[in-house]
Order: sequence, then structure tokens, then C-alpha cells
Amino acid sequence: MNDVLAVVKGNRAVARDTFLMDLDCALEPSLPGQFLMVKVSSSCELFLRRPLAILGQGEGTLEILYKLKGEGTLELSRKKPGDVLWVLGPLGNCFSPPQNGESALFVAGGTGLPPVLALASRVGSGALVIGARSKGDIPLLDRMNSLKGVAVYPVTEDGSLGRRGMATDVLGELLAGAAGPCAVYACGPRGMLEKACELSGVAAARCEVSLEEYMACGFGVCSACTVKTSAGPRRVCSNGPVFDAATIAWGAR
Amino acid sequence: MNTSVRIAPGLVLKNPVLSASGTFAYGEEFSRLFDLGLLGGIVTKGLSLNPKEGNPLPRVYETPCGLINAIGLENIGADAFISGKLPELRSFGTPVIVNFFGSSEEDYALLASRLDVNGIAAIEMNVSCPNVKQGGLEFGRDPEVLFRLTGAVRARTGKPLIVKLTPMVSDIGAMAQAARAGGADAITCANTIPAMAIDEHTWRPVLGNVTGGLSGPAIKPVALKLVWEVSKKVDIPIIASGGACTWNDCVQFLLAGASAVEIGSASLRDPLCFTDIITGIEHYLESRGLDSVTDLIGKLETP
Repeated sequence: MNDVLAVVKGNRAVARDTFLMDLDCALEPSLPGQFLMVKVSSSCELFLRRPLAILGQGEGTLEILYKLKGEGTLELSRKKPGDVLWVLGPLGNCFSPPQNGESALFVAGGTGLPPVLALASRVGSGALVIGARSKGDIPLLDRMNSLKGVAVYPVTEDGSLGRRGMATDVLGELLAGAAGPCAVYACGPRGMLEKACELSGVAAARCEVSLEEYMACGFGVCSACTVKTSAGPRRVCSNGPVFDAATIAWGAR
Repeated sequence: MNTSVRIAPGLVLKNPVLSASGTFAYGEEFSRLFDLGLLGGIVTKGLSLNPKEGNPLPRVYETPCGLINAIGLENIGADAFISGKLPELRSFGTPVIVNFFGSSEEDYALLASRLDVNGIAAIEMNVSCPNVKQGGLEFGRDPEVLFRLTGAVRARTGKPLIVKLTPMVSDIGAMAQAARAGGADAITCANTIPAMAIDEHTWRPVLGNVTGGLSGPAIKPVALKLVWEVSKKVDIPIIASGGACTWNDCVQFLLAGASAVEIGSASLRDPLCFTDIITGIEHYLESRGLDSVTDLIGKLETP
């Protein structure tokens, strides 16, 4: 973990209210699931940094994908090439890749795509279910479709792309139809994660979820993001964000 | 140049910059980012006798120039701190000041005696907690209650005792005098300001606990005035706490009468800010031709 200065190379809309930002940045190597605390403004009016997952990392480059949620992400969307940002990272733990012949099932919803897509790109096999309200909400579909060895299943609530329904509907079918052991990797709304956990339990599949909570520090000192687990209280930022789904006390918050 | 400041008998800080309770955990995370030995002192997360779980989420919400938190004093408890965290923390060569709280006078006194161990340089008593046996009014809101509490804790510890006042009183000078009369060696001034956030779309409070405490630069002018008020009423050292983010803020607090300054919310935004602040103060002294930080303390020139 370090605080490094990043230079914006590109920042463009890639879906409804969703932006892809390219940065030049000498961050330590990261793993899929890890995230950054991005200082969106040098003015302290927007006081806290914003936690954003790492979508991709190359030699001295970083990619982040973010959705307009409030003033912080709005400020971020106004950045132009040449602007600079401080990013603290890489933070948190990472997904554990498929093991012992497990097939990977990636499930993303809402703002949950970046860590899941980062992992799917790294693993290079399995199935990726991307759920959204509507076709226009799904970013980077070309990139997902270009992943060799990964079958992509778009699911929309209005049926405008792929199946009509929820991402977990397709996950349930994939789990039911699987020939061997599966590992499920999910990030998205809490309801989706809880359902993915339940379906994985039924299918005896290993399930890892990446949780999202309001954070202040992002590196384990403020205890803002503490969640209840079967192993006791755990901080999403520093003990997570990736957890074994079966350990999460879903009903408690 | 001398940047050291004296807070209590046996408690001299190498510079006036401290971490603040609740934004530094128990130091481990920050120790991976910079040498904690650079700090004037480390103030730990508030400890209770037994481990405490904290409030429902969400626990933080950003507001202009600050944040509201309702963490709920989540902590690992005094015993786990002493056995699991203190050994490493004391190795950095800077005083470890342990923040603590209770829900009754007996709790506070027992905890103070439990914390009377090697490696702890001083204890900082959080009095912004409800007195469970006295209708839930915070200990720090009634001078008589605060005097008794401070005396009870004083009797159970040989450590320098710092009382951290709440800003939610009509006369903070009187509270500082009560703490001093009870045996406090120093005053921390002050704490977060009660606040809340409401979601106009859902008609619900944003924080799981409904209310929380406001911190950050938004409250700095308030804290500055409280420090100034306290400095006129007591002759014991004051540690400022409330929104300081830069060396400029620290110099202002020193001029207002503080002997040291805790950096809290700023370290959530900029975990490496401590080193900039410390060198900033040094450069300021140099540029002003001053030999010592003490040349600034309480030197505000009022008309």
C-alpha cells in the first residue's frame, strides 16, 4: 500500500452514468478484488476519498470503472487528461482463483463489475453473468465478449439485452447444469450477493463475495465498514472486501 | 530548534503532533505507511473494559469539509490491547497515550487501574459517554460529575491523566476547571460535535445509529475557540482536537493556547499528512526565527 500520484490519460462514459478512467500510475502490483482510495478533489470540501475497485493494471497504468453516485464520482467524471489524482492502494484482499478443477462462475450487478471482470480476465475460463436494469447500463460488453474461454450472459430487468430477469436466475441454472465443482465470484447489490450465497450453498459450490460499504479510511483504522461474520466482526476494507460468502451474517447489519 | 512540549510530569513529546483517538486504530496500519517514531505521540482508539461491537451500518457519512461518524466505540477491550497491541506499539519510541471510556464511575476507575502498566505513557479519558447510573447524561456535561469522575480515576492510576472534554457544554472553561480540580494533568479540547444526516428521498436517517459526531475541518473554527476559552481558565496543558489538517491549523491551535494538537479526520483522507505537518511546523519556526514551539503556545495577540 502506498499513496501515489496518478495522471489521468482518459475518462469517458462507457454506459449510462458509468465512466472508464485510464491513469498513468506507478502503483505496486495488485490482484483482482483489490481497490483504491481515490482523492477526488484537492479541496477538502469533498473530504473523504472514494473506494473504487481496480479494473485493470498494466506497466505503470491503471484502469478504474465507476458509476455516478454522488458528488465525489461527479467530480471524478469531470477530470480531463493531464489532471492528477492521489490514489492510495492497492488495498484489501483479493479473490482466490479456482482450485482443484473448479469451474469459475462470475456474477456482477450494478457497480460490482470491475473486480469480477478483473478476475475473469485473469482466470480466462468459466462463465460471466452481468446483470443490469437495462441494456444501456451495461459497460464494456465488447471487452467481456472478447474474453476467450469465458461465456458471457447478460441479464436485464427489462429484457432489453440477453435474458429478462436477475443475474442470480442465470447463476442458479449454471450451477444446476454444472458437471463438476464450481467456484462462484460475485460483486454487486447485497441482495444479489445473499442470493448467490444461498444458491451456492444449495449446489455445494464455493462462493466468494466482494462487499461494498461506506468507508472513511479504506485501510483498516476507522472501523466504519465493520460487518458481522461467523468469525466475528470484520472490516470490509482491510479484512475484505472479498469474503467467503458462507461466513457473512447476511441478516445482521 | 526545540519542538518538544511538556504535557504532564513525565510526559514530554518530541513535537506537538499526535494522532487522535478513533482515527488511528492501534497504530499497526499506519506503521506500514510511515515511521510512527516521528510522531509526538500516539493516541489509541478508545478502549473499554470489555470488547465492544459498535453501531449498525452505515457508520460514516461525508458532509462538506468533514464527516459524521457513528462508529459506536467499537474496540477490542483493554486486555486484548495490552497483550496483543501494546508490545509492538510501545516499540516505536514515541509515547503511547491510551484513550478509554466507561459507562459508570466504577468502570472508568477499574479500567484506569487496568491500564496502569508499563509501556503506556498516559491515559486520555473520554467523558462524552452516557452515565448509565445517572439517567444517561454524559459525564462531561456536569462539572460536579466530572470532578468526581476525574478524582475517582486519579486515585487509581499513577499515569498522567488527560481529560478529553465534550464541546457540548455552555461553559467549557468550567468543565476544564472541574477536571483540573479532580486531578487532571492536561485537557484535550475537544471532541466531535453531535450531528445527523437525513436522506430526503427515503425520509430516513443516513446513519444506522441515527445521530453521530461531526469532525474534520468543518469544526476547526469551533475547536479553536474552545481551546482559547479553556486556555484562559486553566493553567494545565491543553491538547487541541478538532479538524486540524495542516501545519497552519496546528500553529493556530498553539497560538490559541494548546501545547499539542491531535490529527484525526485528516489522517483518514491523507494517512501520510503527519510528516508534512511536523516539517511544516519546523519550517514555520525557522522562518519566524523562533527557537522553540513553546514560543507559540498561548501567544495570541488579542485587541
